[in-house]
Amino acid sequence: MATFFVNGQAVTAEKNQTLLRFLRDELHLTSVKDGCSEGACGACSVLIDGETCRACVPKTDSLEGKHVLTVEGLSDFEKKLYTYAYGEAGAVQCGFCIPGMVLCTKALLDKVADPTEEQMRYAIRNNYCRCTGYVKIIKAMVLAAKLKKAGVIPEPSETDWKLGSSVHRLDVEEKVLGYGKYPDDWYLDGMTYGSAVRSEYPRARVLGIDASKAKALPGVVAVLTAEDIPGENKVGHIKHDQYSLIPVGGLTHWLGDPIALVVAEDQETLEKAKKLVKVTYEPLPAVHGPEEAKAPDAPRVFDEEETNVQAYKHVSRGDATGAIARSKYVISKHFETPWTEHAFLEPECAVAYMDEDGYVRVLSTDQSSHTTLHECKILLGSDKVRVQNQLVGGGFGGKEDMTVQHHAALITYLTGRAVKVKLSRAESLLIHPKRHPFWMDFTIGCDENGIIQGVKASVYSDTGAFASLGGPVLERACTHASGPYNYQNFEIEGTAYYTNNPPAGAFRGFGVTQTCFAIESLLNEMAERIGISPWEIRYRNAIRPGQELPNGQIVGPETGLVETLEAIKPYYDAAVAAGKPVGLASAMKNSGVGVGLPDWGRCKLIVEADAKVHIYAGASCIGQGLGTVLVQMVVTNTPLNRDDIVYERSNTWIAPDSGDSSGSRQTLITGEACRRACEKLTEALKTRTLEELNGEVFYGEYLAKTDKLGADVPHPVSHVAYGYATQMCVLDRNTGKIESMVAVHDVGKAVNPRSCEGQIEGGVVMSMGYALREQYPIDDNCKPIDKFGKLGLFRAHEIPEIQAIVVDKPGLDVACGAIGIGEITSIPTAPAIAEAYYQLDGQRRTKLPLSDTPYERRCR
Amino acid sequence: MEKRIALVACNGGCRNDSCGYGCIGCAACVSVCPADAIVINDCGVAEVDESLCLGCGACGDACPQGIIHLHDPGCPMVVKCSNRDPGKVARNACQVSCIGCGICEKVCPSGAAKVTDDLSTIDEELCLSCGMCAVKCPRHAIYDLRGVLTAKR
Ligand code: SF4
Ligand code: SF4
Ligand code: FES
Ligand code: FES
Repeated sequence: MATFFVNGQAVTAEKNQTLLRFLRDELHLTSVKDGCSEGACGACSVLIDGETCRACVPKTDSLEGKHVLTVEGLSDFEKKLYTYAYGEAGAVQCGFCIPGMVLCTKALLDKVADPTEEQMRYAIRNNYCRCTGYVKIIKAMVLAAKLKKAGVIPEPSETDWKLGSSVHRLDVEEKVLGYGKYPDDWYLDGMTYGSAVRSEYPRARVLGIDASKAKALPGVVAVLTAEDIPGENKVGHIKHDQYSLIPVGGLTHWLGDPIALVVAEDQETLEKAKKLVKVTYEPLPAVHGPEEAKAPDAPRVFDEEETNVQAYKHVSRGDATGAIARSKYVISKHFETPWTEHAFLEPECAVAYMDEDGYVRVLSTDQSSHTTLHECKILLGSDKVRVQNQLVGGGFGGKEDMTVQHHAALITYLTGRAVKVKLSRAESLLIHPKRHPFWMDFTIGCDENGIIQGVKASVYSDTGAFASLGGPVLERACTHASGPYNYQNFEIEGTAYYTNNPPAGAFRGFGVTQTCFAIESLLNEMAERIGISPWEIRYRNAIRPGQELPNGQIVGPETGLVETLEAIKPYYDAAVAAGKPVGLASAMKNSGVGVGLPDWGRCKLIVEADAKVHIYAGASCIGQGLGTVLVQMVVTNTPLNRDDIVYERSNTWIAPDSGDSSGSRQTLITGEACRRACEKLTEALKTRTLEELNGEVFYGEYLAKTDKLGADVPHPVSHVAYGYATQMCVLDRNTGKIESMVAVHDVGKAVNPRSCEGQIEGGVVMSMGYALREQYPIDDNCKPIDKFGKLGLFRAHEIPEIQAIVVDKPGLDVACGAIGIGEITSIPTAPAIAEAYYQLDGQRRTKLPLSDTPYERRCR
Repeated sequence: MEKRIALVACNGGCRNDSCGYGCIGCAACVSVCPADAIVINDCGVAEVDESLCLGCGACGDACPQGIIHLHDPGCPMVVKCSNRDPGKVARNACQVSCIGCGICEKVCPSGAAKVTDDLSTIDEELCLSCGMCAVKCPRHAIYDLRGVLTAKR
């Protein structure tokens, strides 16, 4: 027992527990986030006697007499100060790291009135942020220092909420002050805790489950197994091959396969009970990777499948083989890219309870509440489910699949009790689908002027223990493998294999991050062979309006690759002239699902009793700032002001399904649906006031119509829109480290330029990790790395200067010309960096993360 | 950051002379320090005043035991022990010796803490200053120099 002070109040912790558990579970100070509970992430940062400390480290008994401060305990001036500074700088994305960052800022400013930027980077270097690349957080710190000295807080620099204005995001305050709720921040009366017992072997037959001892433990509410599932056991995005619980007699597919769900009154009993569930197995040989999966006598990952091939794609136009044979210059190379962990700061968590209408209400952190609804319904065999999005602490593709939501729904459905199901950080690292590792063989042929004649490639990927989005990722990898260039002879075949590794699925870039590394690296080598610069070869081949992409699509006047090249040229030329090692790469990325799949955007504008327009779209804000985008859409397309508009988080019973936050699609597709609803609302406002419109619903929908892959039309439209980018890396010759990154992006109309820059910076830093250091090793037992702090994510003091440039070119005729930016920000980064290292030391690197750089993570 | 600070990797827990690794209180460092930043404290062990230290490293060169090194003052979690004897021997030599049990290595989230030759060291480039090692060390051989998660010494 110890007595100490929290935000100035004396408190007594009876039980000796970590400060984090005490602050969250007993005091409900939920600004203190639980991102790992093992000291790695920094999301739980608090001040103890003025020093930044992680609340998950000290036990309460060691704190006698000490003073603990959380953001809830900041003075009113400080609250306003940090809300303003973080909002003005555009530093808040998903927000999960933000309260910790704010406290680091405060600790520094309390000690040093005029800190240097280096001191600021240093003050937050132990706190990870996966969204922002730290650039804007540091800007916020600079601004906070200035305003703290001045003692007054000005008006935001931009207050007009029209498109193109860098207004403060609407979720800044709740995220800075930590009162916005992520699922884990809910503490319901009588709430139980649920967690899955998972397979001990990557591949084994489950022979028996004995839960009698666990059930007998006082405080255990239930132990559920496959037999208890009322609906379908298997769920999944497209293919239903993800077992919710492995039945007796069934095969396990990876170490994350759930076998029994334990429900208990409290977290300690839960952990004890999980250990008491005895599962007997017949361990079987596992498939460790695609090479093994392909072997004719390979063990089969699925009982239900004939082979381990999960997906196969073949894309061919023109005559690649012939064109390459006739080319003056030909280069063939093999490339490899690794597994990558999303490392969002918020681990998966879902809370479920019976609502007043007898529906299972799921409070979720996901990339689409409607997808969660759909999969929960399959599992429960019932329509009585409602899903409500909470704040989402980062997704990047890793929150598209069911991890905890369906389990929470099942528990509430069967027990009638409220429940919280949360993954530990180690579970999160094991369970949600990762970025696919790829093995790629590419051949490119060019004429003497460097004009691409043809490209031929063969790639394969490890899609792990269930399909997730393995098929579409493979498809996107293949369709974009050509690069954004104007040539017509292109052929690629790709195969995704099931293995007993963790599953792989969506990850920012969706397969393109992988094949882009190969094609762009080859292009750089080709430029050297021909004797022109990497810039020149791209400029000569760049796809221009009216030309035909290798996939047959004729691109429209909005196509802006050339503009990105022209915008980067002065930077490129200057770096080359200064004799610096510099690398360059370009990319394109679709916005929208495309390839003939139904891709609907839907939005309702409802006028409620408060005489305000409430925006309901079944589309998740996963940190990118969708709510702000939609409000700016409404202000632009109606006569209304910001204050007349309320953004509602996605749910499944009022907000219409607007698809997943995936494929950089929400700004464009939900944006256009919203714009269409605005037209109707504007019409109505001509004759009536908001008060008079109370209860009226204005609905907009938009179908992004595209053609199937390989459709038998001369110029199939694969995607309604593409974003284009060119990025550049400059190295410091002395240190071998990155001096600066320049990222130029064509996003059509930038809705909120500062948010857009934030996306770019975050994407670039994420892919600096992909290019240089991040690792997700998997051992012989198919067990992946289990510590967040060992992933090799970049930290604030290691970030070079990053210049994000948005080319504001008139876009398409939909969504006021806005195109999504989410993914492309991290696509050309790795090949640009690889080329810069080649310029430094003459070594061509074909494998990520790049070897022989100062960033390589030393193993201790 | 640029400036580094001298650290004496011994906490002076010696209550007998059986530790052959720790500080012997010879004051060689004290005499070479240009900033008068080092004193021999009441445990008979050299102690650096961080605010005075210039980070010149003269003390490290002068120390006959080789237990003074420069470290990053921004990394407040430090192992203040230099005993490389096996656990049992180290345990008897001192009340606060590192016995090489490996708990710090196990709880360290970043791979920074590592035991080699029965002694823990922290790689400050990898360290996240979380203090998990300091809190979990059964021997109190790891300190939070700020005095928050552990006593100052
Ligand atoms: S936990 Fe303490 S005693 Fe054990 S190896 Fe680490 S520093 Fe030494
Ligand atoms: S402070 Fe934390 S990160 Fe640093 S060595 Fe100790 S346990 Fe590892
Ligand atoms: S929750 Fe404490 S450091 Fe991650
Ligand atoms: S805003 Fe920092 S982790 Fe999302």
